[in-house]
Amino acid sequence: MTDANRIVVDGRPIPYEDGDSVAVAVLRAGAHPQHGGTICLAGDCGNCAAVVDGVAYMRTCQTRASPGLVVNRHPAGGEPELPVVETMTASRIRVRREQADLVVIGAGDSGAAAVEDAERQGRTVTMLDARRGMEVVAVYAGPTIIVRMPTGMLHINARDVVVATGAAELHPVCPGNSLIGLVTAGAAQELHAAGVDLGVAVAVGSAPSGVPCTPLPGRLLRIEGERRATGVVMTDEDGDEERFTACDTVVLGLGRSPRDLLSRMSGELPVTVVGSAADAFPLPAPPTTGTVCPCSRVSVEDLQGVWDRGFRELELVKRASLVGTGTCQGSVCLPYVRAFIADRTGEIPDPFTARPASRQITLGEAAADVHIDAFRRTPLHDEHVALGARMDRFGGWWRPWDYGDHIAEYWAVRRAVSLGDVSTLGKLVVSGPDAVEFLERLYPTTVADIRVGRARYALLLNERGHLMDDGMICREGESRFVLTFTSAGAGHAEMWMRDWVETWGLRVHVLDRTMSLAAINVTGPMAGELLRRVGLTTQPRFLQHVRADVAGVPCHVMRLSFTGEMSFELHHSVDRSLDLWRSLMAHGRDLGIAPHGLQALQALRLEKGNVIVGMDSELDSTPRRLGMDWAVKMEKPDFIGRSALARTAQLPDDRRLTGLTMPGTAPIEGSPIWFDQQVIGHVASSFTSPVLGHAVMLGWLKRTPFPDRVEVDGRPASVVRPPFYDPEGTRARA
Amino acid sequence: MLALEVIRGLRMVAAPESLDAVRWGEDAVVLRFAADDAFAVGASDIDLADDYAIIADESAFVGAWLNDDELDARVVPHIEWPLPDVRPDLAQGFIAGVPAKLWLTEGRTLLLCPAAYAHELSERLR
Repeated sequence: MTDANRIVVDGRPIPYEDGDSVAVAVLRAGAHPQHGGTICLAGDCGNCAAVVDGVAYMRTCQTRASPGLVVNRHPAGGEPELPVVETMTASRIRVRREQADLVVIGAGDSGAAAVEDAERQGRTVTMLDARRGMEVVAVYAGPTIIVRMPTGMLHINARDVVVATGAAELHPVCPGNSLIGLVTAGAAQELHAAGVDLGVAVAVGSAPSGVPCTPLPGRLLRIEGERRATGVVMTDEDGDEERFTACDTVVLGLGRSPRDLLSRMSGELPVTVVGSAADAFPLPAPPTTGTVCPCSRVSVEDLQGVWDRGFRELELVKRASLVGTGTCQGSVCLPYVRAFIADRTGEIPDPFTARPASRQITLGEAAADVHIDAFRRTPLHDEHVALGARMDRFGGWWRPWDYGDHIAEYWAVRRAVSLGDVSTLGKLVVSGPDAVEFLERLYPTTVADIRVGRARYALLLNERGHLMDDGMICREGESRFVLTFTSAGAGHAEMWMRDWVETWGLRVHVLDRTMSLAAINVTGPMAGELLRRVGLTTQPRFLQHVRADVAGVPCHVMRLSFTGEMSFELHHSVDRSLDLWRSLMAHGRDLGIAPHGLQALQALRLEKGNVIVGMDSELDSTPRRLGMDWAVKMEKPDFIGRSALARTAQLPDDRRLTGLTMPGTAPIEGSPIWFDQQVIGHVASSFTSPVLGHAVMLGWLKRTPFPDRVEVDGRPASVVRPPFYDPEGTRARA
Repeated sequence: MLALEVIRGLRMVAAPESLDAVRWGEDAVVLRFAADDAFAVGASDIDLADDYAIIADESAFVGAWLNDDELDARVVPHIEWPLPDVRPDLAQGFIAGVPAKLWLTEGRTLLLCPAAYAHELSERLR
């Protein structure tokens, strides 16, 4: 031993010998875990867990002692204190990723045999073992093995995995099983070999070879002592006679159970379990009294209480009692809980589900190298920022929320002309001899009668008739269409379409152009004038679309309106977007042009009563509930959701999205809607309309009969039919 | 930061057999994103035997050519899936949490991602 061979345990320097684990060093120094319990020195239980260098729940038997390591034992009657983080000083935990041919978990006899066998077959083997500093904490699909190492995390993507984790020794369940001075037979051998003095030792069950101890015949009744064991009480098989034997250490050779946490976690993955981990060991005798689960402090009496309340399946017993949910994840208690249930049902239940992580890892280790969702940027992102936009994340994209004054942006749309970046809209091209047939089945609106060059608004429903998304159908040719979807819904819509093309076996090509094409919405009463200035002299009428150059940029020009004003969506290649935007801004300067952000857009569309999917709609919103029956052609022979709509049309109309108005400022979105002193719904969207001079809302009424007058925010509100602004739509069609 | 340049090409969605039959030219780099979906860089005069094919100029990808050392140092540590053993081959998946593609050839690899993700990918591969 050298002076450097010291660890610090509860502030006290403790020497250790080369090769010692922290647990062995602690026991050699006589400093047992404060909460007691059987020591296994195999990483199976949480009894030796301590705070090591600031990290709690470290299994000290699996932690190699090293100079200066700071160890604080967990308190006797509770959990370690949570660390107080005043500043984020934690260093970044690195993740190393590897591809492996064969991973063998466990370096015991069966693991070594598996390695030898695989190498003979010419395979490349990666061996992982906690005692070699490579602690496997999870097996995920792939299979991907997550390993904790002193240097960081290791993620291994393996072709095959062999679990050779061996078997764990059983701990006793009896009164006194949480006293200090209890060791498994294997732990006794290791401690003896390490020169740790066990004092007067007695052996219960199979005595370990080579360890000086007195075997005690009979059945274990209890272990006696105040804080540490001072003796054992045994009985004969009939329980007629009790014998007390004084001792310092109780060595427990009670049998084994498969160490199968990782193999159970692997489920259907290509994982082979070998050796003792695959063996079916006999269960111990059903416990009658004492602590079954030391981690969660669940006693036999607790299990019985749960049982008496009717929880009779293993998974339910686990959930109701919390047995097996603690540090060791059932390694200690599972055999006893299975025996407990088998004793009462006559059938041995399968072990409960094992889920990652098998060991307590830190949040830093769990989050190491995990990336947050990537959010897309439109080609105009930097331009928006330069114009003073406040950017925020919506539907998977960074989008301008406002440019500093959303009311001014609103008025630019209503009175002059404005640009909106709608590049985020979903844009899919559909082509093929069966394109019309496909779209007729996909959409609840008619498609065959859309003429080339025309567009139609359409809902996208699921089989239950619930709204998933909405957008436009633009016909480009007899068998070619461009479809638009909402920004947030485009990804799902594409998958939805591809699934149905395949299911129906139709001859249709689909190309997602969402990220290939940018789009600028030119909107406002002066939109037509602005576009004339930049070369669009022949302009499409409302719900028409054309291919044309705008400011020298080839565009697909769609005449639509979400804002309620004359609007042209200019779809174009992303690499020309900045040119187009700047040209439009320059040519519209004397027209009062200003860009508008999402905040203004949401207000503008609300005045028109245009629904935003996901904001105004709910997961089970049918067209009828949304007041959008007009977009459904039930006379079509079939479309996705048709049968559900036909069925639900026979049910009472008990839920409705409706318009609401009230004087003054708008209540916040989400406000409850009251009627007759009861909440009958909530506000989905709200805005104080500058052009109308009062509040406008879309809200859900969920109680019939639907009233004409309600109360929101303590004020009376009128139930009205939207749109609130320009109900004839003359401005959009201008 | 990784410099990603716009990679222009032609995007084609067509019957797989018609794409299989195309003579792309020696200098063309053709990435088959799917059996019916190809992105061809440097290809011209393409004769595609599918009347319903969707063919579009594509400028929405950015990318960078990396040598093997650059690939190992900057990209591989951010990949959780196995790289293909053979060359050339196309691999697609998340790289540092960003959807991206790798065109792996002998000695060099084209890292490709949609331009909308260019900033995220560059930042994460720094």
